[in-house]
Amino acid sequence: MDPYEIEFIGENRIVSIIPNFSHDKIFLICGEFGPFRAGLPMNVPLWLGVMLKQKQKCRIVPPDWMDIEVLENIKEEEKRSRFFTKMPNEHYMVEAKLILGAAAEDIPRASEIKTIIKDIWDIRMSKLRTSMDALMKSGGNYGRLDHLTMMEINSVKPLLPEAMDELHRIKMMARKTMPASLNNSTFSQTGGSQNI
Amino acid sequence: MDHDGIELSDEEEEITAQTVLKTLQNAWQNERLAPEILPHQNDMVECMLGQIQHMERNINKLPKTDLRASIHKMELNRIKFIICNYLKTRLDKIEKYCISILNDEKQRLESGTNYLTHSEYKYAQEYLLNMESHLKTTALNQVPGNMQTFDLNKLVIYPNLQSHVFLKANETVTGIVLEDLTGDQDEEIDLEEGSQHILQYKPIADLVKNGKVQLV
Repeated sequence: MDPYEIEFIGENRIVSIIPNFSHDKIFLICGEFGPFRAGLPMNVPLWLGVMLKQKQKCRIVPPDWMDIEVLENIKEEEKRSRFFTKMPNEHYMVEAKLILGAAAEDIPRASEIKTIIKDIWDIRMSKLRTSMDALMKSGGNYGRLDHLTMMEINSVKPLLPEAMDELHRIKMMARKTMPASLNNSTFSQTGGSQNI
Repeated sequence: MDHDGIELSDEEEEITAQTVLKTLQNAWQNERLAPEILPHQNDMVECMLGQIQHMERNINKLPKTDLRASIHKMELNRIKFIICNYLKTRLDKIEKYCISILNDEKQRLESGTNYLTHSEYKYAQEYLLNMESHLKTTALNQVPGNMQTFDLNKLVIYPNLQSHVFLKANETVTGIVLEDLTGDQDEEIDLEEGSQHILQYKPIADLVKNGKVQLV
């Protein structure tokens, strides 16, 4: 999938906004939102929040996790842990990009936050590259990837699945040709190699 | 109240519209990521198209400058994107794996478990006929008679079910058998609810179709 499609999926997440106008509840197919009361926080899908922001009809309330201290902790935890830690949000990168892009002035210390999120992303991506390397070297046909977000998973496509497909193809070919070449040798050899 | 028209008629229908949308979105995501064609979701598509039409009629009644109109339009455009992309993805697969899909579908039609909608099936058949006559008129008819034999079976392209996919388990599934090619030690794994994995599509194909896992 294209990154913009992941972004599209991420845009369905709910964010909190403070509208500067009042309006009755609005009934969308994806749910009902409102009523809008000027100055009072309320929840809307991210795409709607960004749209209203662009029309200068609201402020976006920074999500709980979009905070220097929280993010510093996540970063430290991510550095310490051998595994991927659980992110505060399944689409943290999309949310950060859209909110910081459209509403940077609503987020305190926006540029520092941007840097920390980028750091966290980099740490996780380098971890991901290391584990992909390990997976392939172990002749991987299976891997577990808890806590990776959709955007992160998407960033290793098509490389990882295709490398695994290729490895599988090579194994299939090896298996097809092996019996022929082993025909004149003894069976104990195949038995031996299995036990290793 | 003038926004009554936009409102869905009652509570129950509203929940359904939301669920239909969610189902469509998951179906779209799965269709994009699965190597083979999946069972169609025509009921959901039809239902959502009806909903969209209904909404559009109501939006047209609103004044152009109304904020609600632009919000509803934006949502409808998002949903239309999902539906279009979903249907296009299916057509791409039908064109690519035309012969193998038609062969499988003939068997599935007998057991009443068809994957294609009626119109997709018709499209596939016509596509194959057109391809055949195109190949005949442009190439085969120009070569000597003894070389004109045409064997469709040699043109079959199969989707690679062995390709690897990412998935997230919607519920716990135990005992997925992973074939071990180099040894004979087949591995068995469990998918816990909410966990994510990368593995071959084949052993989990049925789980995608019955919604126990979601491709990501």
